[in-house]
Amino acid sequence: MAPDAAKAVLEVQNLKKYYPLSAGLLRREVGYVKAVDDISFTIPPRKTLGLVGESGCGKTTAAHTIMRGREPTGGTVIFHDRQLGAVDLAKADKDTLFQVRRNMQMIFQDPQSSLNPRMTLLDIIGEPLIIYKIAKGAELVDRVALLLQHVGLRPEYMRRFPHAFSGGQRQRIGIARALALNPQFIIADEPTSALDVSIQAQTLNLLQDLQDEFSLSYLFIAHDLSVVEHISDFVAVMYVGKIVERADTERLYHRPKHPYTEALLSSIPRPDPAIQKRRVPIRGELPNPANPPTGCYFHPRCPYAEAICAEEEPPLEEIVPGHVAACHFADRLSLRGVNDF
Amino acid sequence: MHPNLLEITDLKTHFFTEGGVVPAVDGVSLQIRRGGALGLLGESGCGKSVTGFSILRLVRPPGEIVGGAIRYYGRDTINGEELTALDARSEELRQLRGAEIAMIFQEPMTSLDPLFSVGDQIMEAILYHQDVSKAEARKIALEMLDKARMPQPAQVINQYPHQLSGGMRQRVMIAMALSCEPQLLIADEPTTALDVTTEAQILELMRELQDELGMAILFITHDLGVIAEMAEEVAVMYLGKVVERSDIQSLFAEPQHPYTRALMQSIPKVGQKAPGRLEAIRGMVPSQRSIPSGCPFHPRCASFIADVCDVKTPRLREIKPGHSVSCFLYEDGGGINGA
Ligand SMILES: Nc1ncnc2c1ncn2[C@@H]1O[C@H](COP(=O)(O)OP(=O)(O)OP(=O)(O)O)[C@@H](O)[C@H]1O
Ligand SMILES: Nc1ncnc2c1ncn2[C@@H]1O[C@H](COP(=O)(O)OP(=O)(O)O)[C@@H](O)[C@H]1O
Ligand code: SF4
Ligand code: SF4
Ligand SMILES: [Mg+2]
Ligand SMILES: [Mg+2]
Repeated sequence: MAPDAAKAVLEVQNLKKYYPLSAGLLRREVGYVKAVDDISFTIPPRKTLGLVGESGCGKTTAAHTIMRGREPTGGTVIFHDRQLGAVDLAKADKDTLFQVRRNMQMIFQDPQSSLNPRMTLLDIIGEPLIIYKIAKGAELVDRVALLLQHVGLRPEYMRRFPHAFSGGQRQRIGIARALALNPQFIIADEPTSALDVSIQAQTLNLLQDLQDEFSLSYLFIAHDLSVVEHISDFVAVMYVGKIVERADTERLYHRPKHPYTEALLSSIPRPDPAIQKRRVPIRGELPNPANPPTGCYFHPRCPYAEAICAEEEPPLEEIVPGHVAACHFADRLSLRGVNDF
Repeated sequence: MHPNLLEITDLKTHFFTEGGVVPAVDGVSLQIRRGGALGLLGESGCGKSVTGFSILRLVRPPGEIVGGAIRYYGRDTINGEELTALDARSEELRQLRGAEIAMIFQEPMTSLDPLFSVGDQIMEAILYHQDVSKAEARKIALEMLDKARMPQPAQVINQYPHQLSGGMRQRVMIAMALSCEPQLLIADEPTTALDVTTEAQILELMRELQDELGMAILFITHDLGVIAEMAEEVAVMYLGKVVERSDIQSLFAEPQHPYTRALMQSIPKVGQKAPGRLEAIRGMVPSQRSIPSGCPFHPRCASFIADVCDVKTPRLREIKPGHSVSCFLYEDGGGINGA
């Protein structure tokens, strides 16, 4: 990411979230799960950062820790709030957090469980407007009607309950609620993973339209590397709590500098039977984050590992401006991009 | 010997629920060649899993097979046997499940018993179908885990399902499914719950084992990428019906049915990032309780022909060797020429 990018919306620096591990009858603390371990990135206005990595690598924990839904173990999260200016969310008091949360919202993977089944759409989408004393009564109804229209749902549906809607429609309800306070920034955690292919495209289009219309910035978390490529301006790859590579989307997919990124790209099932793939053989499984390997966490699975990899942890280094990778051999290896397999 | 291992003809499996009849599978015909790989592609709820369950006669009330035939040519390789005619609880069918036709599912945790070790569960399947001693069954179980490329099989065999990762559990399921060397493996979204790296490993494993053991696979998925990697032939389902059937190359090179085409256009193609929006299919899959008249895809179809598609029901017909479509665009007198 260009460091001189016209102001950032969000600057995450050295963010850490460790969960204590306890053992024995006395539940003694015996160590930590480093769910998020020293991650940094910046999201400029109106841009999307994609966050990818295998299940359990810390994506959701990062999202919740940024929102201060979890207490960070360390680091700073500077949010450039429209009203309040720069705020460090990691240290902000309750009042400030309440104010800031108007401008940052979250969309979840499972629209089913994130919507209260006993609330109508009016209640669900109107709730943030009531909490922040922005609208009530007839004005509230008007605002909710407009929000429903924005996400492609009929205002007449306002008095219905979520169970009357399909998965894709429920995701739209969640998006309408997130939009209610006209936020600057939205974290979307696997927003399309539970949706059908044909509904996924509608939802991605909607998120892009809303980004243009409301100048939104997104942190977009997903497993699906095709979806992430499509929606993101920049992409960060996480492995066992750390960001191992970060670059603009084009570079990351076509000129990766970290062997783990290469392995991810080579694993994507391609919807083209003519492609005869030569996969990078990635061995084994994600290590236990409570007991990660020595040196480079990826070394037991890495086809390029050498002796040093088991001993020394590679630092995250800039390769060209805006492209960072944490591999001892990042500048020496010539790795394959998504179309080279 | 009959060239096909399994032939499904006009299968109808309906659910008689309080809210009405759900025609989950409504006139499906499929053929699986010996050692072949047939993919069943479709969005959720279109009847893929119910088709798989119907073959094994695992459909439970209020579901019922109300029509059609499922002929299996694995034991009687000339005349075949009619699976719909067997009693679902009969010994014949129980011998068939597992030994002849095995199935693996999306979420291996639901089909593994948390109270028994991995080894006990694989051994149970082996002892049920094969006349071997316990010691021999354990040896086969170990071999199967090894075949499934399980890391440290001798250790895993004594572990319990919750101690394993999702990918390892799916390897256990594969080891169990293959332990009796079935002729047909039904794989119902076996990698949908897995990470992309684990998915790639499991898909590769399944391809290798298919070559090695010569079994046929019915591969069920909603993922166009996965189907392209796994299937030789594909049937595309929509609302309980097969709307297009073809070999894999021709399906991807020249998709014919408007639904298949729309599906292929709606996914982002990795490595070909283009600015702008995706071509989404309008609307959503209707409920199986209120299937649209005529062509079930007509409310969402961009090529919809008024007074034809909403009135008459198209039938699956071959438009060129090995490629069939169910759409009026390809019928004389109904489609582009006729309407
Ligand atoms: N409350 C908690 N206590 C202890 N460990 C936790 C807790 N929450 C998460 N973890 C651990 O932190 C790590 C990261 O989990 P997280 O949910 O952030 O992963 P993720 O990348 O979002 O995965 P997925 O792709 O499956 O959603 C995991 O090892 C998880 O087990
Ligand atoms: N036990 C059941 N009772 C009623 N309807 C069912 C039952 N099982 C499946 N169905 C319906 O049958 C249809 C097809 O389901 P299924 O085969 O599971 O779809 P998929 O293609 O996602 O595998 C769906 O409409 C589903 O709701
Ligand atoms: S540091 Fe070594 S083990 Fe780690 S990614 Fe680079 S080559 Fe592989
Ligand atoms: S029959 Fe008509 S509505 Fe159905 S897919 Fe063909 S053109 Fe579309
Ligand atoms: Mg998560
Ligand atoms: Mg299913």
